Order: sequence, then C-alpha cells, then structure tokens
Amino acid sequence: MSGLRDRTAIAGVGYTPFSKDSGVSTLTLAARAILAALDDAGLTVDDVDALATHRVGDSTPPWVVAPALGVPEVRWYLDQFGGGSVSHSVVAQAAMAVAAGVAETVVCYRAINARSEFRMGGTGRGPAPLFDVQYQAPYGYFAPPQQFAMSARAHMNAYGTTHEQLGAIAVGQRANAVKNARALKRDPITMDDYLASRWIAEPLRLLDCCLETDGACAVVVTSRERARDLRQPPVLVSGAAWGGGDSFFSGAGSVPSGTDLTVTEAARIAPRLYAMAGVGPGDIDVAELYDCFTYSVVVQLEDYGFCAKGEGGPYAASGALALDGELPVNTHGGFLSEGYVHGINHIAEAVAQLRGTAGDRQVPGAEVALSTAQPGYVLAGTSALILRSDR
Amino acid sequence: MMIPPEPDRDSAPWWEAVRRHELTVQRCGGCGALRFPARAVCNRCRSLEYEWTPVAGTGRVYSWIVNHQVFLRPMKELVPFPVLLVRLDEGEDLLMYGGLAGGDAAGLRDGLPVEAVFEDAPDGAGATIVNWRPRAAAP
Repeated sequence: MSGLRDRTAIAGVGYTPFSKDSGVSTLTLAARAILAALDDAGLTVDDVDALATHRVGDSTPPWVVAPALGVPEVRWYLDQFGGGSVSHSVVAQAAMAVAAGVAETVVCYRAINARSEFRMGGTGRGPAPLFDVQYQAPYGYFAPPQQFAMSARAHMNAYGTTHEQLGAIAVGQRANAVKNARALKRDPITMDDYLASRWIAEPLRLLDCCLETDGACAVVVTSRERARDLRQPPVLVSGAAWGGGDSFFSGAGSVPSGTDLTVTEAARIAPRLYAMAGVGPGDIDVAELYDCFTYSVVVQLEDYGFCAKGEGGPYAASGALALDGELPVNTHGGFLSEGYVHGINHIAEAVAQLRGTAGDRQVPGAEVALSTAQPGYVLAGTSALILRSDR
Repeated sequence: MMIPPEPDRDSAPWWEAVRRHELTVQRCGGCGALRFPARAVCNRCRSLEYEWTPVAGTGRVYSWIVNHQVFLRPMKELVPFPVLLVRLDEGEDLLMYGGLAGGDAAGLRDGLPVEAVFEDAPDGAGATIVNWRPRAAAP
C-alpha cells in the first residue's frame, strides 16, 4: 500500500509574520505567504496551476486568491470545509492531485486573523454549525478548550495523567520557541509559571492553550522530479492519511473514539499512514504534533504509537520530547508558543527540520518527520503526513 | 442558559419530550439498538425505522469540566460552572451533556451516580434543558 509514497514533494515554504493584529485582510495574508513560498521554491505565480486551503467561514477561498494573484490558469482547487483536523489533508490532497497528473504546482495555504477577526468559540463567531452543538451549547459548552478539557479529564480519570505532565509540555515547547525568531512567545516559563496560570476550563489552564494568532503560511507541492530542479532540497511527501468516523458522543459503537474520549481518530489512521511511508514510530526523527492544547500532544503520543495507551503523560514529562530527547516534538515551540495557523505551520517546521535549516533548534540529522492535524475532536476526523528528506 | 436549544428535524421530538420533562432516546426498529443523539438511520443495521422510547434518566459521570473563561457575555454571571458528560445506565454508548444540579463541582468524580433534572428557562422562551443531580448509588 505505498500509494503516494515519495511521488511528490514540498518545494517551498512561506510565512507572514505572526501577530495579534495583522491589520490586513486574510486575502492579503494569503497573498504574502504564497508569494514568499513561491520565492523560496524559485518559482513565480506563472508556475502555479492549483490552489488548496481549508476554512470555517473565516478566510479567503482559492477562487478569490487565484485571480487576485493573477494565476494564469487554475486546473484544480480545493476549498475544504473544516478546521485543524483537516489541515494536513489539504497538503495530502494536493499531493494526490499532482500524483494523478491533474495539477503540477499546487500552493497550499491557510490565512487567518484568528485573534483580531474570528476567534474560535468566542467573540466574533458563533458555534460551528454541527448537529451535536444543540446538545452542548445550552450548557455553555461549545469552545475548543472546553472540549479538550473534557477529554483531558477523562484521560486523568482513566490513567492518572497529571497537571505537571501537561505542564511539562508547555514548559518544554516554550524552551524550543526561545530558539525561534518567528515565535510569538519567546520568554522561558517554569513549571511554577504553568501551575500559577489561570484556569480556562479545568483541568486546562491558560498555558495549556495555543495562541490565537493572525497570520498565514503556505507550502508549494509539486512532483518529486520537478522539485529536484528547484531552488531548495525537496522534502518528500512519504505518507499521508486522513479520514474519520462519527461524532464522538453519539452512540457510534464502531468508532474507536465513539465513547472513549481517551482515544482519537489518530489511532485509526496511524497504521495506514505508517504503511504508506514504509516506516514505523521508531523511524520518526521529529514529530510536530497538533498542539491546540497540551493534552492533544499526550493523546497523540499514544495514538501514533510512541508509547502505550495511558503512558503519554509520563512519556511527555520524561524529557523525551526535548530537542535533544528521544523524540523531539514541536521543535518550533508549536501552536502553544510559535503561533497557531491551524496546522500548516507544523508542516512548514517539519520541512525546515528536514532541510536542515532550523538553526539553533535543528535536530541533527533529521530525515523523517511526522506532522499531524487536530486528532479528531469536533469533526471526528483527522489527517497527518510523514515527510522525509530526499537524500 | 447561554444559547437556547436549536433542534433540527431529527431531534425535534427529543426536545419536545424534554419540554414535557421526559428523557428519551431512539430505539432502532430493525435491531433494537438504543441511540442518541437523534439520527434518521441506525449505524449498525442501517434501518430507517425507529421509535422514541423513555429511559430512566439515571447514569454515571464519565467526565466533566469546570469552565472559568467567559466565552460569551451571558457567561459572565455564571462562571465558574461545571459541565458534565454522563453515560446513561441504558448503554455504554449513550452519552448526554448537562450542567450540575445541586452539589459541588469539587465532589464530582469518575462514575458518580447522577439523575436527570429538567430545568425550564425562566424567561418563558419555551425551552427546557437537562441537568444532572448526584444520587445515592444503586445497590
């Protein structure tokens, strides 16, 4: 089942600065990130024949971005509905379009003013239009920190996961962000700082939560052969998987996450993700795990097979996730400290690590990286990529 | 109540029953499986036939949060408040949310027995929600 293995590559990466108030439109953010990604690859807008993004009514679609940039001919586009859980499926589907010969050069982007315009579950936007919401919103339950707090509590109940184990993730990722000039939060924090931070939704504190961010990020996907002729060393899309099941509290007994909040859809897609890439958890040199909250790292360490179910907390607190640890995780500081562009900045960081251009935070000799999406709450689906250097 | 219930065409009978202070779930007409929330088809046998059937209104706490953040202005007077996720006694995969009716959030624990309490909105909006009250454990 090698599927898409090593047939396509990420050839360029671009960012806007991250901030709390960009002062510009999401169209402007998208354009800036895309132009930066094309420049990184040694390409121009004239080389682009496809665009792909995802959004939840909070950003500018490809069919607006393409004419704004003057893309000569759009042969394929993707305007995926969804939030962080589909973030990696955008690049995966771009790889599929290139592998199928439908498009040659796809720019994938996500552009959001997630602090100044559309705050998740808060000011500026109502609850997502999901059928589950009617059973939750009357109790004041609709915001992502609440949803992940509910799962974190269940994990604590089942496995004894502790606040200090969650805190180790927040503290450790901040240490990585200190080495990342792009990061919004670069002041080191201690466990005392973590434990003193205010409750958002018990058992999660402020420092368990990612940063609401204005910004954009883009990556260029093309064929492996074409990428080899471009400016940067190609980073191959070696494995890709996405999908999901039912909503998680709705009596869906056939779905692993159906009635057990401590298992996510990542557990379902991980086997086929690894199979496509022909690697296993022990081959992963760097893991960029979706950290909308500290807890989502804990559960993904388990569901992607880095430790046994229930051991995610102790594993995270063991030091294994540090830059010099057994499994460096969220090397840029993650969404907790770098900024939150809804998933794609994990992919961009994985590319930097595999190119060997991550500077002070470079993991020596990193050749295989896992980058993951929100593991399957809300839309009960997820997506992930395994990337590897082309050497 | 921060946000009034917004029933859809499948769930309207459930909300109407809650309005009458009755707790119900769907029973599949094909395989007899109970399900919640409301959906038109059984995901086990794919039957489109179902009926609404009463449940006892008892269950056990599976997980909970205590919300502190004011995500919407009407929350300001209510924080901190708990939200419970309860497994109904009729089935492991029958889960319902709700607030805590009586008792202290500090007393919440995994498996705590609870029973449904219906709360009518005081504003005459015609809305009723389901909260959960700790009860003595079944023998």
